[in-house]
Amino acid sequence: MTLSKKIFLLLILPALFINAAHSQTINWASLGKEQRHIAHAHAGFDYAFVYGVGYSRQLLSPIPILATIDFSTPVGNKVLDDFKTKIGGVADLCEFNNFHLSASVYGIYRRYENPMAVLQNFGSEFKGVFGFYQSKWFVAAEFGFDKAIVTHFEHSDAFKENYPEVKNGWYQPATGGNFSYGVQTGLSFDGVDALFRIGKVVTQDFKSSPTIPFYAEFGTNIKINR
Amino acid sequence: MFTVSIFSGCQDELDINDSGNLVPKTVDLDPSLPSVSLNNALFHAEAFGPADGPLVVVLHGGPGSDYRYLLNCREFASQGYRVVFYDQRGTGLSQRFPKSHYTMQVAYDDLSGIISHYRTDPNQKVFLLGHSWGAMLASAYINQYPTAIDGAILAEPGGLIWKDVKDYITRSRKFKYLGESLNDAVYADQFVTGKTDQHAILDYKFMLLTSKESSEIGNEGSLQEWRGGAVTFDAYLEIGDKQKPDWTTNLNKYTTQVLFIYSANNKAYGLQHAQKVSAPYPSVKLFKTEGAGHDMLSFPTGWSNTYPAMLDYLNSLK
Repeated sequence: MTLSKKIFLLLILPALFINAAHSQTINWASLGKEQRHIAHAHAGFDYAFVYGVGYSRQLLSPIPILATIDFSTPVGNKVLDDFKTKIGGVADLCEFNNFHLSASVYGIYRRYENPMAVLQNFGSEFKGVFGFYQSKWFVAAEFGFDKAIVTHFEHSDAFKENYPEVKNGWYQPATGGNFSYGVQTGLSFDGVDALFRIGKVVTQDFKSSPTIPFYAEFGTNIKINR
Repeated sequence: MFTVSIFSGCQDELDINDSGNLVPKTVDLDPSLPSVSLNNALFHAEAFGPADGPLVVVLHGGPGSDYRYLLNCREFASQGYRVVFYDQRGTGLSQRFPKSHYTMQVAYDDLSGIISHYRTDPNQKVFLLGHSWGAMLASAYINQYPTAIDGAILAEPGGLIWKDVKDYITRSRKFKYLGESLNDAVYADQFVTGKTDQHAILDYKFMLLTSKESSEIGNEGSLQEWRGGAVTFDAYLEIGDKQKPDWTTNLNKYTTQVLFIYSANNKAYGLQHAQKVSAPYPSVKLFKTEGAGHDMLSFPTGWSNTYPAMLDYLNSLK
């Protein structure tokens, strides 16, 4: 095993076992300081039809901050050939008159496999959310940027039949990037948020879109008192 | 970023923008490839058979594929035909251009240029052999210049009016929204994106997206290709959607019989669609290729079942 493979495993395996978090869809007005643990589940279109689970822990801090992990995978016949893990945090930066501005930062590890290639990527996601929050409901606008920073390409024999000279390895500069913008809303009751978010995805040059140029997800948060 | 730094330090990272890494170089970057220069563009092109033989110009599908999957057609060279292959503008190993560059007239002019380049005598007969989009282009060319072509073999053109094309695409691209095929096609969108002039990235991604063909079209396996043309594909799809072309308006003037091929295993095509699409031609010989799907000219069973009919057709007109 080469050094790079060992480092790879050291970095990746924890992420796989930890799993990770649906991002930043939180009703800040209904989140109590004593609710330290939040379990997430979500499903919908996010590049493909995906479902996922996650966990957030509210930190003891002057402003509400959640440390979050999330894992999602597309529905399909093959389990775990495609998936995305995210780890990061979200902070409720400021509040005035029931309006909240929050921001999140995530590190991403994701994998894609089809008959031609296996792609493994490290990336990042930044998101800002601004909206109106009440204890029973909220509605907010969100804007995000998902950057695929460095990607490893490994090609199958089927691909090499077409192009034997293809070069496997880590590729830079950044191999991709997509902006997203949309709305999120939710209802809150008895320590549970029922969530929905929908929006559009455009590539980083604003001139084209992914094959499925939108996202739409249902989700739920279950908030647990410590 | 820590992670990225570690990975960057472990191996020499490759540049995703460079042709030759994930996709092969085009003729303007690799002088060793066979090429033809015309209409201010460099085309990946080659010809087989006697230079003075009747020309059979092979038009590949897509738009955005290349002629590699049609190389079985070289067999006509052994029968005295001059078989001409070229990757259409912006696809395969031909030179890349911006999306705004593409029009149907550009495609016609390129085909006229290819014919002129390989034609050694004004009396040398010219046949078009088009597959899928290539058969649509052949028909569009005949519709534009009804006296320029001495015969045509048309293998499963999606349609000659845009509505027929859209209907066929819809039938042939059935995806299960919860299936693996959809993931294979779309999940990579978050890994690789390219700007409009980053052809190497766009073409690679295009090849990933199109690597999984729908089972509806009945192929025996995966097609061989050199390099897809993502911008070309987008450009012609946009032209179709905006202009809703009708390539049948002058076909009544083309009285030469055309050989119209459809396949037994393509569930999205069939006799009914073949009759509908070929109807504008005054004289049509319909031929059904048994034991094959949409790419009947690429796989052994389809080729061996179709070649004799195509050769008979060409011999009857040469």
